[in-house]
Amino acid sequence: MTERAHRPHPSLDDPSIAIEDVLRESIVDAVPVARTEREAEFYTLGDGEMLLNMGPQHPSTHGVLRVVLKLDGERVVDIDPVLGYLHRGVEKLCENADWHQAICYTDPLEYVASLFCEWAPVMAFEKLADVEVPRRAEYIRVLTGELNRIASHALFMGWFALDLGGLTPILWSFIERDEMMDMLAAVTGQKLLFNYFRIGGVNGDINHEFMSRLGDWMSRAGAQIEANQGLLNENEILVRRARGMGVLDGETAMRMAVTGPNIRASGVPFDIRRAHPYSVYPELEFDIPTRQEGDSLARYLLRADEVKQSLRIIDQCLHQMPDGPVMASVPRLIRPRPGRAWAAVEGPRGMYGTYAISDGTDQPFRMRIHDPSFVHLQLVSLLTPGNLIADTMAIMASLDPVMGGVDK
Amino acid sequence: MSMAVVTWQRLNVVGKILAIAVPVLIALGLVTVGVAILAGPFAIEFVGDNVPLLRFVAAIGAVLLLTIPTAFVVIFMELKVIARMNLRVGPDRVGPYGTAMSVVHGLKFLSKEDFAPLGVDLQVFTIAPVVVFVGSVMTFLVIPFAPGLFGLDMNVGVLYLFAMGGLTVVGLLMAGWASFNKYSLLGGLRSAAQMVSYEIPLTLSLVGVVLLAGTMSLNQMVLAQSGSIADWYVWQQPLAFVIFIIAGIAEANRSPFDLTEADQEIVAGFATEYSGMRFGFFFFAEYVNVFVVSALIVTFFLGGWTAPFDWPFPVAVAIDPLAWGVGSLVAILALPVVGTLVLAAPFWLSSRITTLQALVIGFILFNVVAIGLVLGWAFVSLDWVSGLFWFFAKSYVFVFFFVWLRGSLPRVRIDQLMGFAWKWLLPAALLNIFVTAAAIVIVNR
Amino acid sequence: MDRALRSRLERRFGDCLLAPVAQRHDQTEIRVSAGDATDTIRALHDEPDLHFTLLADLAGVDTGTHMQVVYHLWAETSTDWLRVVVDGLDREAPRCPSVTFLWKGAEWMEREAYDMFGIVFEGNRDVRRIYLPAAYTSFPLRKDFHLPDDASRSPGRGVRPMEESLPPRDATSATNLRRAQAG
Repeated sequence: MTERAHRPHPSLDDPSIAIEDVLRESIVDAVPVARTEREAEFYTLGDGEMLLNMGPQHPSTHGVLRVVLKLDGERVVDIDPVLGYLHRGVEKLCENADWHQAICYTDPLEYVASLFCEWAPVMAFEKLADVEVPRRAEYIRVLTGELNRIASHALFMGWFALDLGGLTPILWSFIERDEMMDMLAAVTGQKLLFNYFRIGGVNGDINHEFMSRLGDWMSRAGAQIEANQGLLNENEILVRRARGMGVLDGETAMRMAVTGPNIRASGVPFDIRRAHPYSVYPELEFDIPTRQEGDSLARYLLRADEVKQSLRIIDQCLHQMPDGPVMASVPRLIRPRPGRAWAAVEGPRGMYGTYAISDGTDQPFRMRIHDPSFVHLQLVSLLTPGNLIADTMAIMASLDPVMGGVDK
Repeated sequence: MSMAVVTWQRLNVVGKILAIAVPVLIALGLVTVGVAILAGPFAIEFVGDNVPLLRFVAAIGAVLLLTIPTAFVVIFMELKVIARMNLRVGPDRVGPYGTAMSVVHGLKFLSKEDFAPLGVDLQVFTIAPVVVFVGSVMTFLVIPFAPGLFGLDMNVGVLYLFAMGGLTVVGLLMAGWASFNKYSLLGGLRSAAQMVSYEIPLTLSLVGVVLLAGTMSLNQMVLAQSGSIADWYVWQQPLAFVIFIIAGIAEANRSPFDLTEADQEIVAGFATEYSGMRFGFFFFAEYVNVFVVSALIVTFFLGGWTAPFDWPFPVAVAIDPLAWGVGSLVAILALPVVGTLVLAAPFWLSSRITTLQALVIGFILFNVVAIGLVLGWAFVSLDWVSGLFWFFAKSYVFVFFFVWLRGSLPRVRIDQLMGFAWKWLLPAALLNIFVTAAAIVIVNR
Repeated sequence: MDRALRSRLERRFGDCLLAPVAQRHDQTEIRVSAGDATDTIRALHDEPDLHFTLLADLAGVDTGTHMQVVYHLWAETSTDWLRVVVDGLDREAPRCPSVTFLWKGAEWMEREAYDMFGIVFEGNRDVRRIYLPAAYTSFPLRKDFHLPDDASRSPGRGVRPMEESLPPRDATSATNLRRAQAG
């Protein structure tokens, strides 16, 4: 039994080198030379502490996130997320595309709700080029956007339960989400990365198939969402694991530049749709649900409340939508006059922003994309220390980061 | 070229196989007969002298053979039931309705590379799955499946069960420690903490049953519950029943207590570094454990193999072919032919199929009917067949229950898990013991 | 456009503004130097008539001649987004004061700006690369960093090397191959 089944390291064939030395060396190498104050603090291990590397391939890191956990037994002492495994350099790619093409690159950032990361750059480019968007196009944007918001929140409920160990909800929410994605596919032509919003409007009017499916779905959406949440909301295990976990108070949330449902779950009613109105949201009636607790459960329940508000908005859009064109007359190649523009929209995860600089050419001089997932992932190292490994996952899931947006 | 070679080349594949197999089989048969003639008397004498020993060996062999189909059935049930709960179809490609899926799982494990990562403690790493597997398989030895159908009637059966359960902890801890992986280590330590904690309420919850039955032998316990559904211990020990189910789920490492292999937290726990058949052992052991816990619930609280009600009308189908006349025997011999023709006739008349197809359908139908009749006869006339039926029926209800839990519940956290065992289950089990003992004293006075 | 905000800003920061307050659509823009950045942003955050409590975004910009750090702020007191441009950072060694003392959430955004532009934020205790590997030597969003297949910027000129300062062992094999083919 002394023979080893696998020998990847050449020095193992050398009998003079003990395997323990090779292993010790490789373990020592895993701790990098500290380059910053924070890194030095993180990689200094106290008595009985150990480092645990989680990811980039791990079942619950929502893509390719890698986190290094400093553990004391099961208890997390500190946590250091390591990003970049999905980094594509979208901002650089956008600088090398023309204004219309740049929108395509922003789609895959947020592959769960990709209409919103089209919306922000489109709005910024419209401000740069002084394009007036037809009102029908704005209504269609709001309608499809809110539908996409519900689809994203539906998926969140499933992911959240999955990270707490529940198998079934994720598949139920995918079925629910699939219905909405099919609707959006009927109007946009694609099912995941819609690429539907254009500078000056949207790519094509809503069609009969979309409307008939939407009407059918709206008539039972409320009951269906209630049924799916019934599986989770009254689940004693889920509630006990989420309540009081990762409490984020409103003051800290502002200091951490948190936006979206995560800050509203901490009692701050900041929603760009009301705080800095855009599109036709001022004409629509809806509430901004907030919760005071700021824990994982509040973040989860708040999204459930938001779904109801989105249904209200969709209903109003369907009734108020004016007739008219859906696209302003925008040339194929635009050269906005030099200037700078910032636009932000309220997405299902928070604020999607775009800061675009035009130098008068047909390409963006600089295009900065702000993604809420990136900001919210910082909260992990703030909220998890002191909790158990299992809670790390619950807290991370409740923040709802999407790695496509985090890594850009 | 000699004649033999030419003949050989003319044979097709089946012919070649037969040409080799038939002589070999004949030779083996002759050898067997020879050995039997020579060694027979000694063997009979040996068997006569050592019946308990041979029964033990046979029982262990049977138990080992039984685990594989049990694991297959439980795995298939889990795949299919959870799929249905998830609104999926589940396996449906291999075998009819995907029933061969778990067999394919097993073959996959066997065909994988026997891989041990760098840095593992190879001896412990290799032994660990075996320990876990043996620990869960050996519990089969004392479970009474049917009247007279059990491996051993131990008078310390309950203690033996928990000893074997304790062995599993050692195996998991070995796996976690030897894997040279922090996830495995966490998983192994979690399993040690969890199983040691839950073994206490599990054991204590059974004290009430032991007091009532007055024995620790599982077979005697089942006999003490025989009669009707009212005699089952679940009515006298409802608290113990609930505690045993909860602690049993934790002992079997099943959701919502599957912290040892919580994939969202510690990848696969103690099994992270295992692959191939080494992992297969863990895999099989887990599903065998599910069945064992279900079988134990049934044995202790739901009357084991006893029927929930007496057969409503007395049937004693005694078949004694020798007492029948020659004419009846001829009729029985003709029955397959007649039956096939009768069952084929409607298809032949109504559908546009050939005579041969109609006959094949008729033959299959006849077989189904005949097997059904034979099984029905066995069920009503043979004790052990009906016992087996009721035992497996009750057990698989609980297997389904476990799968159901896995499909619907999230996982608890480690501190909640431990707190639940020590703060709630243990006091409840102790309370149950006192109440039961007091009740027995009062009733017997 | 929030005219009141403009006058308030001019009144409060009149001395240290590098350019007049610019307003377009729903945005108001002020420019300050790196030396005034900390005081300006602290005043914007703390003073009750400004009270820009929410940091919407922090972006680095390379104008080709110098570096900028751009903050977008939001306040209940104004209907505009406020853009604070910290202008005129030295391209060779850009340094800018950190705002992590106000918004701890700016830490990663500053790390990103360092990763992409090489802007060092003084006061941020964790300025290291965030997306790119630690051994990476160049700052890809700088204007002198061209993509290897940047056909629109370099028509007919073949493929440019990733970064001149890169030692050959760090360049990807594909780049080396293309370089060999081009040269």
